[in-house]
Amino acid sequence: MGLEPIVRVRNLHKYFLRGSEQIDVLNDLSLNVPEAEFLALMGPSGSGKTTLLNLIAGLDQPSEGEIWVGEHLISGMSEAQLARWRTRHVGFVFQFYNLLPVLTAYENVELPLLLLPLSSAERKRQVLTALDLVGLSNRLSHRPGQLSGGQQQRVGIARAIVTDPTLIVADEPTGDLDARSAEDILNLLVELKDGLKKTIIMVTHDPRAASRAERVLHLEKGQLVHDTAHASW
Amino acid sequence: MSPLERGALWWERFTSQPLYVLAAMLALLVVYTMGVYRKQMWFMLKSLRRNLLRSILTSLATVVLVLVVTLVWSILYFLDKATSEKAKDLKAIVTERWQIPSQMPFAYAASLSEGAAARPTDVRPDDNMTWQFYGGTIDPGKRTRENTVFFFCMDPRKLLTMMDGLDELTLQERSDLDHAIDVMVKDKRKVVIGKDRLAAMKKRVGERIKVTSLNYKDIDLEVEIIAEFPDGRYNQSAIMNRDYLNDAMDDYNAKQKAKGLPTHPLTMKSLNLVWLRVPDTDAYQRVADQIMSSSLYSSPAVKCETASSGISSFLDAYRDLLWGMRWLLVPSILVTMSLVIANAISISVRERRVEMAVLKVLGFSPGQIMALVLGEAILIGGLSGAFSSGATYVLINQVAGGLKFPIAFFPAFLIPEDALWWGPMIGIGTAVAGSFFPAWSARTVKVSDVFSKIS
Repeated sequence: MGLEPIVRVRNLHKYFLRGSEQIDVLNDLSLNVPEAEFLALMGPSGSGKTTLLNLIAGLDQPSEGEIWVGEHLISGMSEAQLARWRTRHVGFVFQFYNLLPVLTAYENVELPLLLLPLSSAERKRQVLTALDLVGLSNRLSHRPGQLSGGQQQRVGIARAIVTDPTLIVADEPTGDLDARSAEDILNLLVELKDGLKKTIIMVTHDPRAASRAERVLHLEKGQLVHDTAHASW
Repeated sequence: MSPLERGALWWERFTSQPLYVLAAMLALLVVYTMGVYRKQMWFMLKSLRRNLLRSILTSLATVVLVLVVTLVWSILYFLDKATSEKAKDLKAIVTERWQIPSQMPFAYAASLSEGAAARPTDVRPDDNMTWQFYGGTIDPGKRTRENTVFFFCMDPRKLLTMMDGLDELTLQERSDLDHAIDVMVKDKRKVVIGKDRLAAMKKRVGERIKVTSLNYKDIDLEVEIIAEFPDGRYNQSAIMNRDYLNDAMDDYNAKQKAKGLPTHPLTMKSLNLVWLRVPDTDAYQRVADQIMSSSLYSSPAVKCETASSGISSFLDAYRDLLWGMRWLLVPSILVTMSLVIANAISISVRERRVEMAVLKVLGFSPGQIMALVLGEAILIGGLSGAFSSGATYVLINQVAGGLKFPIAFFPAFLIPEDALWWGPMIGIGTAVAGSFFPAWSARTVKVSDVFSKIS
């Protein structure tokens, strides 16, 4: 496990307003995630784990507090700055894969690279490397509809890692998969962490999925209530 | 002419038109952009294929509406051009004052050509031209539209200096026409006819034809076709040396006189128009005053007006129709086009809110997402518009021989070359207008909202 925290969350507060009522989702939450750690976030529905994930991934802005990822204070960035930052520094894995149905596996993985100043040869090399890492080199021209759920999620992971991001965030990545495919995906995430030293933050309801992480944080009512480091790591 | 020479001629004609050069530069810029952003373009095209039926229907609606706008604008464009007043180098038309068609004695020609200048201080026109119209058929036994020819009888030397649309000829075309004029001056029986008229009559350059007159009864003329007009607006026209008609009329009258019979009924009515070229509006006003106040033209009286106002007077009867076409029909079509595109793009954006959110997650900025949506609309609008105007241009000009929409003395209208860029511009403009709000809505998709609804 790396010692330097790559994600630093300080006194994070997120609330929504419903009319005049303030609904607190995250309440004075602080957190460090060291580099190359595989962290799982667990908690009941409405505990704020997805909100925390979105905030760390730069998809939403905190009401109060600071979020640092590497040397970037992302809680102070504009929407356009966050978009640019996400391209280079965050890979996102969705529960329902969210691949673009009109694009092939190759094109789906290539999509984030279109935002970077790369030659087409460089793009091709990176896409093929990413698809090779997830074991789908033989499915380049298949559309999402022609792939199984597990394969679609692999394409989703290839898309998440193709820009070589600092951080991979995954929201219930095994939530829509059968047990075997879920196991394969978890193995893949562990390989990414071990082989490529990627920092992974995963939201899950599944204790078996969480057990593959090095550390599990439990949230309840917007606060961290339990921090478990697995002995196997 | 060798292909190389044809290419050189084409290049000469092309580069002489700043609008074409500008359009070519714009096209190069578009091609370059498409090269740089070809992946994004490919993505947009694939997105349009997502619901092929909807894209095709939107495209078809755009094609039809652009076609209607192109047709209407072609008519208005031509009429605007014909009726716009020039401040410099303008043309004055002298006609009979109280009668249409104008029929003046040819004796008016000489003094009118000088702008009725009598004193040394009077203004004289820079150039002039007389018009006499002689129509006839080459098959009097069975007259049809095809075997009828209508000659403008004039001084051939005035053809290149006074006629509209001949100042854009290539060097070769001009040289050929110069030569034909020289021959017509030397031999009054030689004529020049436009290629479409020749084709309709099934005649060729070099052939002789006998024309049995329709308006100059009993004055039939034999002519030899020595050239055809350069391809363009005179494809249906024919010109003859006026001396041939006037001499034939004199001969006819001499014979009639010898027999003690009356002269030809058109003897004092053979001059239809006089065109005068004046340097500016001030000179025009003075020439017009000289003519209108001259006692030479009392029976019949004459009037002098600018060419554009002459045409405008003709078009007065159509004023409401043209106003409606310009200010009701065209705007309604443009709004309808925008709504058609807005509807299609709105549905598409609503269906793809998750996809927009995913793109945002991947790092697409709000501006880039807006550009993708606008790009799809622009692609569909621009391509459909370009196809529509191109097809309209070819079908109307090459196949139908012009848009048959008789207004005043214009029997048909050709689609101008400018229409080739109207189509894409109309398509793109209405696409941008119609898709702006849907694109803005895609831009403002909030990722956390979209995914919280899914989960």
